[in-house]
Amino acid sequence: MILELLKKVYRVSKALSVKSPATEDVRTHVMHQSDRFRGEHQIDYETCIGCDACNKICPTTAITMKHLPFKKQNIVPEVNLGVCIFCGLCEDVCPTKPEKSIILSGGRYDMLSGGWHEDQVNFWVHVDVPQEYIDSRLEAEEAARVKKELEAKKKAALLAMKDKEVKAPVSGVPDFSGEQI
Amino acid sequence: MRKIKQLLENFNTLYIEEYKTTWVKTKLSTADDLLMVAKALKEHGLRTIATVSPTDFLEENVIEMNYFFEDLMTNRNCWLKCDVPRELDECEIESLTPLFKGANWHEREAYSMFGVRFLNHPDLRPIIVSQDFYDKTPFRKDFDWDAHDKNTVKNMQKIVDSFKAEEAEADKGIDAESSETVLNWGPTHPASGPIRLKVHCDGEDVIGIDPDIGFVWRALEHLVTKKDFVGAIVAVERLCFMDNVNSMTAYAQAVEEIANVEITEFAKWMRVLLGEVSRISSHAMGMGGFYNALGLHTVAMWNMDVREFFLDFLESYSGARIATAAVEPGGVRYGLQQNMLDELQLALDKFDATKDSVKDIFINNPTMKMRASKQGFISNLDVQDYSLCGVVARASGVKIDVRIDEPYAAYAEIKMDYVTQKDGSAKDRLINLFEELEQSVDIIKQAKRHIEEKIASGEFDPTKDQMVKVPKKLPRGEAISRVEWSRGEVLMHLVTEEKGTSPYRLKMKAPSFNHTMMLDKLLAGQTLSDIPLVFGSLYICQGDLDR
Repeated sequence: MILELLKKVYRVSKALSVKSPATEDVRTHVMHQSDRFRGEHQIDYETCIGCDACNKICPTTAITMKHLPFKKQNIVPEVNLGVCIFCGLCEDVCPTKPEKSIILSGGRYDMLSGGWHEDQVNFWVHVDVPQEYIDSRLEAEEAARVKKELEAKKKAALLAMKDKEVKAPVSGVPDFSGEQI
Repeated sequence: MRKIKQLLENFNTLYIEEYKTTWVKTKLSTADDLLMVAKALKEHGLRTIATVSPTDFLEENVIEMNYFFEDLMTNRNCWLKCDVPRELDECEIESLTPLFKGANWHEREAYSMFGVRFLNHPDLRPIIVSQDFYDKTPFRKDFDWDAHDKNTVKNMQKIVDSFKAEEAEADKGIDAESSETVLNWGPTHPASGPIRLKVHCDGEDVIGIDPDIGFVWRALEHLVTKKDFVGAIVAVERLCFMDNVNSMTAYAQAVEEIANVEITEFAKWMRVLLGEVSRISSHAMGMGGFYNALGLHTVAMWNMDVREFFLDFLESYSGARIATAAVEPGGVRYGLQQNMLDELQLALDKFDATKDSVKDIFINNPTMKMRASKQGFISNLDVQDYSLCGVVARASGVKIDVRIDEPYAAYAEIKMDYVTQKDGSAKDRLINLFEELEQSVDIIKQAKRHIEEKIASGEFDPTKDQMVKVPKKLPRGEAISRVEWSRGEVLMHLVTEEKGTSPYRLKMKAPSFNHTMMLDKLLAGQTLSDIPLVFGSLYICQGDLDR
């Protein structure tokens, strides 16, 4: 009697140590994971060269280019996931090496799980460029501009010097071309 | 072939030339000869017309008609062209429907999309397009889509109004004394999918069926012309999701032909491998669809279980389970890794483990045989007249299969034979479907073995060989490309312009269009309860029906 009871207790207590599959949160587990799974985009604004190739090839015009306050490389893609069909052509055409600036492969599979419908109203991959980065880029651009200007000035000065050196002896020689006639 | 050429020489033609191995291409100097030429071709054995494809040339101010005649028995084909004027009043040509029954809906489609009027057509109503596109020509180059889209509310009102008018008209025509009525089968019927069959019936006897299609019309043939040659694959693959790889293969072949690019051996074998995986995923659903129509959902569930393993392979390879976008002009998009082939082996093992029980329970099922072996007969002659293809044609004993008749990709090196049945009843189509599943698995095994051997010997480099470069701008040209899709023959007619960056015109001939045309003939005189059975057995997908 007691033995059977103990057996039962043992059997039931065994179940406590095994995690039931029904308690698993399937939103965070995936049945089949592929390295190439085309999910949410990851956009690297630092390596992006702003060539607009992803925007041009996008078959559903899900990509819009966000303008940044720089002179060069001043656009970066943003993706409307409500329109995107996850074909991955933008990743194919991205020319940056070795890492592509826009990547879907290996992206999140749980894009739509969790959250509320409000979260999907603005269902975009936005690129949040931090102010420090903008400042540093602007500074760098400004520095480059100043450097270029200085160089240009130097060059001009050098050229002027050379001109003087070349012209000086010419002006020293009397010109008789007019008198020959 | 020589005989066809001789026969065509009797008429006024601009040129007669051989195209590929099985085609004769010609252009008539005048469209008036069309009927005579068609008659002569039919007497000569070319009893089938695959499709009618108009191309709108804005600059030349003509619409070029393309007719594709086929002889399913001896595999000789003729590609006939002729010009018709572009002005709407004069844009008319003799109809071929009285001669070739299969041309019926194709001519109606050309009429709705391009405004080409077909003289002496028995039933020239718009098809596919909704009522707001009636009397317009959406696929002509000068059609203003933006202006049309601006009036969305008005357009919707037009559709609603015409539907109400149709309802009122249907009520008026009914004889109060008789029990004749018009019944809508679909688009919300559990077995129908997005299609509406207007069933004229007396009690439960079916008098006739008038299918109303176009519920999922996406104007794919127009969308393609708005994308570049690579981006177009996403529109082409949406022909039907159940088998999307083979439709991309057809398109890619046409582009490669115009660009004059030869793809690598590895890419060819990958196209076979992916195509057959895709075919299995489609056939598995097709079998499920047949039984679903009968009210039994078990086989669909079982097949889905097996199908998931094949989709796992597709996901590992391409990154998506359904919309793979895996085939591009120039080859296939991704390289191959060994772990993917291992995953494919898992799928093949799963199929082999379950196929016997599926066969015992569902294919040799006595109830199904009793029910389905007396329904939906399609004769050998019907197949030719209505230009049927794929499983439906082979179940009637017609030996056609593009993979064997006009081998593409690496199919020439694969050992396979026609899978056919004798009678052509609904039951035969189901059995044929299952036998083709087995055949596909066999082909995958061959292709997989070949690829593994070549990788081991170093002839294939699976990380680099997948693509060759196709130029972004193509020269002016045109090509047709045929593949054996899961549902039958898909014929794509691609036209490009000089230095064109996107297709100028892409005609996709899809098999379900012809199969749906058969419904009226198959079901007239039967009872209402036979509709789901016959409809399910025809293996119709609305995706390629409407495009």
